Amino acid sequence: MAKVGCDIHERGALTLVTSLRDTGMEVIYTGRYQTPEAVAHIALTEDVDVIALSDHTGSLPIIAQDVLNELGKLDAAYIPIIAGGLLTPDDVRALEDMGVTGNFGPGTPMDVIIAHINTLVEP
Amino acid sequence: MEPKETRVDRLAGHMVRTETQSGIELETSYGPDDIGHLSYEEDMGDPGAYPFLRGIYPEMYRNRLWLKSFIVSYATAEETNQAFREYIANGMTDLRLLCDLPTQSGIDPDHPSAWNSMMCGGVATYALPVYEEMLAGLPLGEAVFELAHAGMSSFIYFYGLLVAMMEGRGMDIRRLRGNSINDPIRSKLVYGCPDFPTDIDRRICLDHIEFSARNTPSWRPVAPNGVDPCQGGMDAVRELGGCLAVATVVMEDLQKRGVGIDEYGPMVFSLDAESDFFETIAKFRLARKMWAMIAREKLGARTERAMQLKIGIRTSGLSLTHQKPLNNAARVTLQILSCVLGGVNSLDASSIDEAVGLPSPEARLFNLDTQHIITHEANIPLVADPLGGSYYLEWLTSRMESDVNAYLDEIASRGGIYACLESGWLNQVMEACRLKVQREKAEGKRLIVGVNAFRSEDDKEGPINEAIRDVAYKPPSIAMREERVREVTRYKASRDMERLKALTLDLFQATKEGRNVQRAVIEAAKAGLTLGECVGVIRLGYGIEYDPFNQVGTPDFVLAAVGA
Repeated sequence: MAKVGCDIHERGALTLVTSLRDTGMEVIYTGRYQTPEAVAHIALTEDVDVIALSDHTGSLPIIAQDVLNELGKLDAAYIPIIAGGLLTPDDVRALEDMGVTGNFGPGTPMDVIIAHINTLVEP
Repeated sequence: MEPKETRVDRLAGHMVRTETQSGIELETSYGPDDIGHLSYEEDMGDPGAYPFLRGIYPEMYRNRLWLKSFIVSYATAEETNQAFREYIANGMTDLRLLCDLPTQSGIDPDHPSAWNSMMCGGVATYALPVYEEMLAGLPLGEAVFELAHAGMSSFIYFYGLLVAMMEGRGMDIRRLRGNSINDPIRSKLVYGCPDFPTDIDRRICLDHIEFSARNTPSWRPVAPNGVDPCQGGMDAVRELGGCLAVATVVMEDLQKRGVGIDEYGPMVFSLDAESDFFETIAKFRLARKMWAMIAREKLGARTERAMQLKIGIRTSGLSLTHQKPLNNAARVTLQILSCVLGGVNSLDASSIDEAVGLPSPEARLFNLDTQHIITHEANIPLVADPLGGSYYLEWLTSRMESDVNAYLDEIASRGGIYACLESGWLNQVMEACRLKVQREKAEGKRLIVGVNAFRSEDDKEGPINEAIRDVAYKPPSIAMREERVREVTRYKASRDMERLKALTLDLFQATKEGRNVQRAVIEAAKAGLTLGECVGVIRLGYGIEYDPFNQVGTPDFVLAAVGA
């Protein structure tokens, strides 16, 4: 679970971290104020199955592209990215075009998000 | 094909909970015995009389309506200025200023960590000329301004810009009106703001208050904030308790600097209007009473003015939903109504499209019109504290008072609010509250219409809801962000570096020697010192690294100025 940039809205990320842990997943939360480089580095060194980007500034397409670029530099572009937060229909289309899935708006039921993560991860 | 059988929703016919949003268990009705322990004179008093439970003015709204405010901060100074003008023309009376998220974190647009949030949540107000453009033509000295930022560096710097603008125009700064949130607990508890560590936050909070108390008497330089802790998870009892604890410690610290509470004058709290209607009203009434008692009995206030609490409101953004955004109109209307029945002094209502993006102009105008309808069509504000004496409301207010006092005792037993922040205890309390809400939602004890209840089977929404989502404000593009970086780079190269160096040294020395830095910030900002540089120089004065994100070095002119 990662937050890139200076977005202060953390409640969605924290809520999801707890819910995912409750289902038995191992979750690493980067905290706020991260750089795309740091997120890619943490994802690789921790060998994560999925990167979840949370943002409420409307910048998810820009953030996701930066993280994808950084993953590419580390030959780690195979790690799937999901996103959630404030999203317009245009944002969702842009994110889908770059291969980012989920793209959940506020209030999405937890079971929908959990089911989506399970489709991305080999059991 | 046989039509599908229609099912009666089991949720539609009864309540699913018996307690308030903050978990206060309720009886099915209340009567005289439930408020028999209360004395009208001591516990309530007439509107305008101590302890001000029923309002701080005898006639309340009849002659003085609440201020209608919004945070107005779009991606550019130009569109923000346009928006202010339009909202003022439609009845806005209180101008809340904000900036983008990187600036609130203490960095300029040319900082590498700014890019991913640049111009989001507002203008990148990195220096005085941006403020001049954003506020061009707006009546400084007449309009009421509020600084609603996150980081503590924002208050000392942007108040400094307002003073610098007035002095630049030859105006008397004593005419400056408004307030700063300037709450050091909220900055760290909710936002984890990286600009300064807590010890610097606590000191510059006081520098700003002390300077303001002596030079701009119509500016309220601290407004302890419950809105954001509440949005972060705190319930109503802990929201109010936190504000009272912050206000108390700030006034005690200020007394040590020689500014007593009677000289300081009325307190302001920024509180949250949540969805639970009666609990929210009780909270506002109780806040006035509890502050009046603390001011008089604990802080030694002698003047009525110094016992008065003004309440500024932000309605809950968290309560608004992305699903069926039209429903947000009902939520916000009820929240506004709770504010008016609770006797608040200024009101910043969230917009129906706020779960989608920054508010669109039309949604803002709808907010103002809602308030005008409550006022001029429903006639709600004609009588002060119209719910006063209600068995239920008075019982609830009294019960919350006991709960808030218990919470304040616990904070005191843990060494005070700063110790509770530093030990992580406040964060634990906030997390526990947040998890309780999460559990209630999962268990169906907290229904959010259109989200975890009353959803149509195919989740299809009509054209009105779709339109609300489509008109929400769109965030700035990559090209706009690139232009901003070029602009700040040009600006930094255009300054008189010798003058800037001298005033940078003044700020550094004032910081290092423990003198009040507010005047030094104002003068350096006049010479072009940016927000990010101001943060860096103050940090250097404390002997810590210039960049809060530890990514960029100290600029050459700063190194030359401070002789490092």
